[in-house]
Amino acid sequence: MNYVIALFLGACFGFSLNKAGLTRYNKIVNVFRFTDLAVLKFMLTAMVVSMAGLYTLRGLGLIQFPTVPSTYIVGNMIGGLIFGIGMALTGY
Amino acid sequence: MNRLNKGFRNELWSPYAAGVLLGVVGVLAVWLADSLLGASGAFESLAGMIGKALAPQAFNIMYFNFIMPTGITWAVVLLLGVMVGGALGALSSRTWKLRLNTDDKQWKAIIGPQLWKRWLIAFFGAIILEYGAGIAGGCTSGLAISGGMLLAPAAFLFIAAMFASGILTTLLVYRRNW
Repeated sequence: MNYVIALFLGACFGFSLNKAGLTRYNKIVNVFRFTDLAVLKFMLTAMVVSMAGLYTLRGLGLIQFPTVPSTYIVGNMIGGLIFGIGMALTGY
Repeated sequence: MNRLNKGFRNELWSPYAAGVLLGVVGVLAVWLADSLLGASGAFESLAGMIGKALAPQAFNIMYFNFIMPTGITWAVVLLLGVMVGGALGALSSRTWKLRLNTDDKQWKAIIGPQLWKRWLIAFFGAIILEYGAGIAGGCTSGLAISGGMLLAPAAFLFIAAMFASGILTTLLVYRRNW
């Protein structure tokens, strides 16, 4: 059952990425050139919507948060720096 | 209704509309499956599974034993769904097509139209990207968006670092055209 949910949610996830144009090289790279901010608009809208939804549901006692990605400052930053190089080169 | 259908079939939606869809999916993932969306971890789980089958000695390390679960995990199924969903999105706008090379004009103008350039840069760039995601603990979806929606400090550090090096890299690649 869990796998059916995963497949369905994954399909919606992929669909939204496709429709936002994040499957294209130019969309990903142009956000780093500040000529097309679609990636930021997409990412931050998604974050705001799910933030609002999750904190409301938790406030109502319907869900509990899963394990939050752990913070280890140096690792997160170095990983992010390496990740950014790959992202800007390939446009993935 | 007709207008709605036409809008649905557009190749590109407003990023805000697509973002709302992803936001709802993010909430549902926590609510229904108690999991976070992510992409990069799935590749590591698959690599770990193959590695453990082929070279169990080399893969018997702390990372694959305790940090990254191997095998067909929830994230792997999710990744499969992402591919299906991406194809459905392209089919809905009738732009679905098998390509060996990108037909992105910007890529062709800046990097070059040759097939080998696309494959070489994609291959090594993806290694760099996945390696960075492994160190940081997630990628744009798994750490930045999923972590950000739970207000994890890691997510915001990651976004800042990702943009810093992304901007620098595009500056180096594009030079005068930046």
